[in-house]
Amino acid sequence: MSLLKAKTLIKPIVAALSVISLMASVSSAETTLIKGAKIHTMSPQGVLESGDVLIEDGVIKSVADDLSIQADNIIDGKGKVLTPGIFALINQIGLVELGSLDQTADMATDNEEQGASFRVDQVFNHNSTLIPVNRSNGVTRTLIAPSLGYYIFAGRGAVMSLDGDYNALIAKDVAIFAAFGERAADMSGGSRASTLYQLNQALDEARIYKNNRSAIELGEFRELHYSIEDLRALQAVIDKRVPLIISANRESDLLTLLDFAKQQNIKIAFAGAAEAWRVAKQIAKADAAVFVDPMDNLPSSFESLGKRYDNAAILSKAGVKVMFLGQGFLDSHNAYTVRHSAGNAVAYGMDYNKALAAMITTPAEYFGGDDAYGKIAEGFKAELVLWSGDPLEVTTLAEQVWIDGKATSMENRSTKLRERYKALDTDKNTGYRK
Amino acid sequence: MIKFPAQPRLILAALISAAFLSACEQPQSDETKKEEPNTAFESTYKVKSYHPVLIKNATVLTAAGDRIDNGSLLFKDGKIVAVGTNIEIPADESLEVIDAQGKWVTPGLIDVHSHLGVYPAPGVDSAADGNEMTAPVTAEVWAEHSVWPHDPQFELALAGGVTSMQVLPGSANLIGGRTVTLKNVPARSVMEMKFPGAPHGLKMACGENPKRVYGSKGRSPMTRMANIAGFRAAWIKAADYKTQWEDYENREGNGKAPKRDLQMETLAGVLKGEILIHNHCYRADEMALMMEIADEFDFQISTFHHAVESYKIADKLAQNNVCSALWSDWWGFKQEAFDMVPENVALVEKAGACAIVHSDSPTGIQHLNKDAAKSMASGNAMGMNITPEKAIEWITINPAKSMGIGDQTGTLEAGKMADIVLWDGNPFSVYTKAEKVFIDGALMYDRLDEKYQPVSDFQLGQYDFEVKAQEGGAQ
Repeated sequence: MSLLKAKTLIKPIVAALSVISLMASVSSAETTLIKGAKIHTMSPQGVLESGDVLIEDGVIKSVADDLSIQADNIIDGKGKVLTPGIFALINQIGLVELGSLDQTADMATDNEEQGASFRVDQVFNHNSTLIPVNRSNGVTRTLIAPSLGYYIFAGRGAVMSLDGDYNALIAKDVAIFAAFGERAADMSGGSRASTLYQLNQALDEARIYKNNRSAIELGEFRELHYSIEDLRALQAVIDKRVPLIISANRESDLLTLLDFAKQQNIKIAFAGAAEAWRVAKQIAKADAAVFVDPMDNLPSSFESLGKRYDNAAILSKAGVKVMFLGQGFLDSHNAYTVRHSAGNAVAYGMDYNKALAAMITTPAEYFGGDDAYGKIAEGFKAELVLWSGDPLEVTTLAEQVWIDGKATSMENRSTKLRERYKALDTDKNTGYRK
Repeated sequence: MIKFPAQPRLILAALISAAFLSACEQPQSDETKKEEPNTAFESTYKVKSYHPVLIKNATVLTAAGDRIDNGSLLFKDGKIVAVGTNIEIPADESLEVIDAQGKWVTPGLIDVHSHLGVYPAPGVDSAADGNEMTAPVTAEVWAEHSVWPHDPQFELALAGGVTSMQVLPGSANLIGGRTVTLKNVPARSVMEMKFPGAPHGLKMACGENPKRVYGSKGRSPMTRMANIAGFRAAWIKAADYKTQWEDYENREGNGKAPKRDLQMETLAGVLKGEILIHNHCYRADEMALMMEIADEFDFQISTFHHAVESYKIADKLAQNNVCSALWSDWWGFKQEAFDMVPENVALVEKAGACAIVHSDSPTGIQHLNKDAAKSMASGNAMGMNITPEKAIEWITINPAKSMGIGDQTGTLEAGKMADIVLWDGNPFSVYTKAEKVFIDGALMYDRLDEKYQPVSDFQLGQYDFEVKAQEGGAQ
């Protein structure tokens, strides 16, 4: 496929987010029929124990127990499970190749002008080896996020497709990331109180900017602490168009930030949120979303002594929107293991359907609802994974992945290396095996 | 090139581990004590007294090749008495019978690569004691002298079914120091956790870490070739030290004893076959070089750790009888971890080499069974037929052998330590949890009984978690 992908219409957008919909160009009305799979529709249609899905022109045409029709490609789904592709969250896919090599990493900046405004979607590397590895393991899209750089605002997140194309952007500027707690305190003068001061100062200045835009742009206003670019970026937060996603863990920090969000009248969400289960009701009442890593129960810092495996389950039962982060420092290269994390959340009490939704439908709705992804329903994108079994199970593998109705390659560097070395005994001259 | 005469190393290793067994069973005479410079820091681990237990109707994976459906397991006084379908049940009033219908039983899990206690939680500088990054050779340090028994991560690992683990120094140095093998029990000192009779290991590290840590300080090693030179220089000194002591011992106490040197005692211990090499080494080409060094100085490498590229030289690893301790699929956090294949464990197994699934992670150690399950599934997708009774070996008997404790634990066989996990289902499932964990026949963890859920000194009294859980969220 050429780099120039047919760009279809710009869809109506929610909350003025700039959402660009990308669909693969399909030369004719190609149809694919997946037959007899267990289908998690993620829609009111629920779970079909054995159902058929018809794909036409990259879009799901129909979903039913039995579709007796012909198609260009017929896939036998018997004994297998079909879900929408995984939406990986808050990682650096396409922004890093090898973690220890700074020259391959673009996720953070020390440039003090770029805090809230720092965005990384324009430097997404669509040829990164992380993309085929994650895609062939069932991840079809990801929310990339900057890491902390110069100060407590890390920057803006964007939703990217893992289809391997340069035009990978699905939605830009969907959230702004910031930090609170031990590390942020260290960055902001040594105290959480200074971090809180800076958070308030930034939003206050964003409002000052909003009300004095021309004077500020012309340099006829008093000096502000934050760059004009940062204050422009923060408009989306003060207008409640995007969430301010703050990494925070301690119970008191979460409560302090709920208070802060209420006073500033912004939409807040928490990432990490080790002790969120202790204040689940308050978080639910404030309608704050929570991003948790269900594999992390370590009391790894003094602000996360209360971390536990049933955090996700308790929050979810309390009515909080729960979404899943990847596993620690493997959250980009091994982003796909989030499905095992979801399995762990279920093992520790979370409802299965909610756990599945936490890495598919919940983020789809949270970051731009009408993108037509996240459900197996008529009119939705054919962004699908056929699994050998239960997608949350550690012994299950992805067998085929479709993006925009197109069966994507299941090859990656690992499969190539495996093929090269799997038969050492026959021929050791491996360099010619490609 | 100086070549020591080739030794039948395997036989030697077997003899040594037998010698360790007898050493711990018999009181040492004064004479032998005189020849052993290090009697300090010996294990004071005590088997807890507990009533005999019969687990019946379980699916038993023995890790000795068998899967026994509707199996029974009897253990008493710390040892396994019998395993099978039709075992004789003793008439003993104190016998506890556990009906394990639908549940699975395996040996206690063993992690060959952990830093619990030396990098405890919370991860703060004041407690980060795992890596003496001050010189490329620090063979003199012992990990056990950094182990904090109150690291709350020990009980998390216990809840994951881990009964024994090897704690290693970090990997900044070419030769990082001695490892220690622990029983995963609450204790007041590391001596109370030390696995009785387990040999020490020696941590070595290839590749990026030593050259980065020291090269960035303008010191050697700055390159991989200096890594190798550093290893060889150390072994030349060690061989000389060993000879000095052997000469002294041959003089039967006459003449002046050589001066003790903690670095050299450790390295000479390796050359004598008493200390096992655990070598952090990712790349296949570097593993091949390390096996050359082992050949040059006539020692055996027990295990390559994090060996992301073992699949490339699985045949050579089998030939040299070196184990590979692996993750199922970690990759990309540095260049030497670039060539990951999820079939690594399976391909090592296929070549007939010793495969181990390890953690190097306080999270991973709680899920060794699931990491093994992933490796099993990847192997099977490639066309192999790896069964649960085979995969369980990767996290039990194979690490036990690698650590020199395979004669005592790691399988469910009569006479062995009763280190046992009762799982609430198939352990190779994401939904399965360890329900009961026995160490030397004593119940040390019970998911269903709070009395048997240890809490570290550190966490005691920090929060009243359970009460808040009810108030906070769950309806």
